[in-house]
Amino acid sequence: MLESDIRSILKCVRCGACRSVCPVFEEVGWESAGARGRMLVAQGISQGLEVGSGVLESLNTCTTCGLCRQMCPSGADPTGVVESLRHELVSQGKMTDSQAKLHKKIISSSNSLGDVSDKKKWLGERITEVRKTAEYVYFVGCLGAYRYPETAALTFDVLKQFDVTVLPDEVCCGSPLIRTGFDADDLIAHNMEQIRKVGAHTVITSCAGCYNTLKNDYPAGFDVIHVSEFLSEHLSELELKRLDLTVTYHDGCHLGRCNGVFDAPCEVIKAICDIKEMTTNRENARCCGGGGGVRSGYPDLSLALAKKRLAEVPEGVDYVVTSCPLCLKNLTEAGSDTDVIDLVELVALAMQNL
Amino acid sequence: MELITELQEIVGTNRVTAEPSELYCYSSDASQVRGTPDYVVRPKNTEQVSRILKLANKYGIAVTPRGAGTGLAGGAVALSGGVVLDLSGMNRILEVDIGNLQVAVEPGVVHAKLNEALNPHGFFFPPDPGSSAMCTLGGLIANRGSGMRSVKYGTIKNYVLDLEVVMAEGTVINTGSRTLKSSAGYDLNALMVGSEGTLGIITKALLKIHPLPKSRSLLLASFEGAEMAGKAVVRVLAGGIIPSACEILDRTTIEVLNAYDPNVALPDSDTIILFEVDGTKSGVQEEAEMVKSICKPFASSISIAADEQERNEIWTARRLVGAAISRLDPKMTRVYVGEDIGVPIKEIPNMLKRLRLISQKFDTQIMTYGHIGDGNLHTGMCIDVLDEKQWELLNRAADEIHRTAIMLGGTVSAEHGIGSARAEYMRLERGPALNVMAAIKHALDPKGILNPGKLGI
Repeated sequence: MLESDIRSILKCVRCGACRSVCPVFEEVGWESAGARGRMLVAQGISQGLEVGSGVLESLNTCTTCGLCRQMCPSGADPTGVVESLRHELVSQGKMTDSQAKLHKKIISSSNSLGDVSDKKKWLGERITEVRKTAEYVYFVGCLGAYRYPETAALTFDVLKQFDVTVLPDEVCCGSPLIRTGFDADDLIAHNMEQIRKVGAHTVITSCAGCYNTLKNDYPAGFDVIHVSEFLSEHLSELELKRLDLTVTYHDGCHLGRCNGVFDAPCEVIKAICDIKEMTTNRENARCCGGGGGVRSGYPDLSLALAKKRLAEVPEGVDYVVTSCPLCLKNLTEAGSDTDVIDLVELVALAMQNL
Repeated sequence: MELITELQEIVGTNRVTAEPSELYCYSSDASQVRGTPDYVVRPKNTEQVSRILKLANKYGIAVTPRGAGTGLAGGAVALSGGVVLDLSGMNRILEVDIGNLQVAVEPGVVHAKLNEALNPHGFFFPPDPGSSAMCTLGGLIANRGSGMRSVKYGTIKNYVLDLEVVMAEGTVINTGSRTLKSSAGYDLNALMVGSEGTLGIITKALLKIHPLPKSRSLLLASFEGAEMAGKAVVRVLAGGIIPSACEILDRTTIEVLNAYDPNVALPDSDTIILFEVDGTKSGVQEEAEMVKSICKPFASSISIAADEQERNEIWTARRLVGAAISRLDPKMTRVYVGEDIGVPIKEIPNMLKRLRLISQKFDTQIMTYGHIGDGNLHTGMCIDVLDEKQWELLNRAADEIHRTAIMLGGTVSAEHGIGSARAEYMRLERGPALNVMAAIKHALDPKGILNPGKLGI
């Protein structure tokens, strides 16, 4: 175990402050399913606790939402310890079937959905508008390309008036692999090469997971911004009309709490319509349940977490807006009464010349 | 039939475990006490608890009740294996009865959730532990907890009207009544409050509630030394003012609070006393002025929190300071030992002086904070937990802190409980009264299945 992880484990005084905010613990109810329990499991492993199914389930039910790390009074980092331990156990061949399947799927198809079709199909006729080089590159992401092609196309349409292109051969950013304990070196190297070819100094993502990974797990060499940040900087050029709508905004954990992007999406929304906050928001926003491999490994748990998030949607809003396709998918599939849309869909509704 | 099968028949297969990693997670609370249970069971109702106790009593198996496991004395740690009864899932607020000034709750309700539910009614539940956001009411009752407002509002024992308790052999009793007072026989509420799960398992509680004060004011008085601050507190109390909170923060605590939340921005000083007064608007203004004038000869500066937001920020940070001290140094961790002494109010300056001497003697930094208004001082010590020498000094310092408190007519635990961490001091503190406790324990739990190894009995 890394010394930094051991130090983090030792920082935990087991006060239980994280226990009262961990969304997974709230749902499952067993100590091992909460941040404090995971720190204890980690300590147990360092002291010889056998890695069986209980240990794997404890570590793999964490959505890596980072709420425990954010509020830990002692300054411990349960999220970091969980990710680090997943990596260590995977390197020893200790993983769940679901982890193994996810790994196989991504390695064989280079995307998180195992889709072998053309990743640029969403472009349709727009393929002719794709520049070979540009200052900015729009990193579409696997969910954007395969599950939300219309949103991806809208994003491209909004961005194309600026010096923005897409990668000639984008592969999965590596987020699902890295979060579940695997290396994603080949995917990273491939995307790095693509970014170099395009010559972009900045990568624009529209997914919280891609953003987090490109920003924190890739070698230096380019800037990473979320599409909401790009749009908030170019509001005056977008010619947005005011819409008679009230929406709420769901902060994706890996964009908001883990990387501090809170203001940009709200500034874009406020330029278009009224916004009503969810019960928890910004640093304290409740997780949608989709991240950290929980969506693929524990789908029932993931949807139960999403339902709890939906219970925080305020009365009288027309849309739940989010900036992450994984959050969008999870919240939608959990049966949201209010339509869940991507921020760019809202922008497209307000753009007069789109 | 195997015990696990019998337990599963009572609570269902998904609410019993003997999985090693789960047992490991239940082998500690926030103290240094360790003990691994054989099973963890998560009952959903009183009937299940009763059936579990009947079973445990039949086989002579230890049962250790547990709430959120935030205790600081090992009270929820199974020292003799057996069953840990995780009651945190019994977390419903059953009734908010404003007309009768009471609420009915299950033991797993988290303290802060009760106040969230009461706030819209203009009421609150006054005991205010630092662990409000995570501790359960069952644990608070079982440990006779209190917190920052006990100087004016008393401890949990002043708020328990009735408890539903499952006794060792499975019988369910009620210890009180729905009335706000009762003279009917022995005060079994008082017996169960603070019994740490050694006499019965609390499955429901009827608690008295209090109207929210119309106004609050928070004064921050800075002093050049803890003893000077202690004198000011004694004068304020003797002057006829009972603040709704009266907290001491020493230099280290101030540093920790400012580091934890820079918005708090406490003045740089040796010692701060937070005086909160509450009541009607005019009464609060008058009392705040009185506190100010009494403190003036002792204090280096006095200020008043500007508004509710500033007050809330200070209190929120204060509640978490016990753990936040670990942030001061990447290699240091707060260890909860000797952290909950109480002394008679007039002995506070003396105790503070002795704490300083103990700190020097054992070369261990002792952060002091806590409810100085009721004589309850929390001492915070941080060590590199990988350094055995520091452990030894820490434990020796804690031992001396405990013995000093007893010598001054105080207690080794004002609100956190005895568990097993402080059991060795019970004879010294309580003398022959410990024999009476043992006799009561034996009468109610002859097989000794309920939380064995606790309270020094």
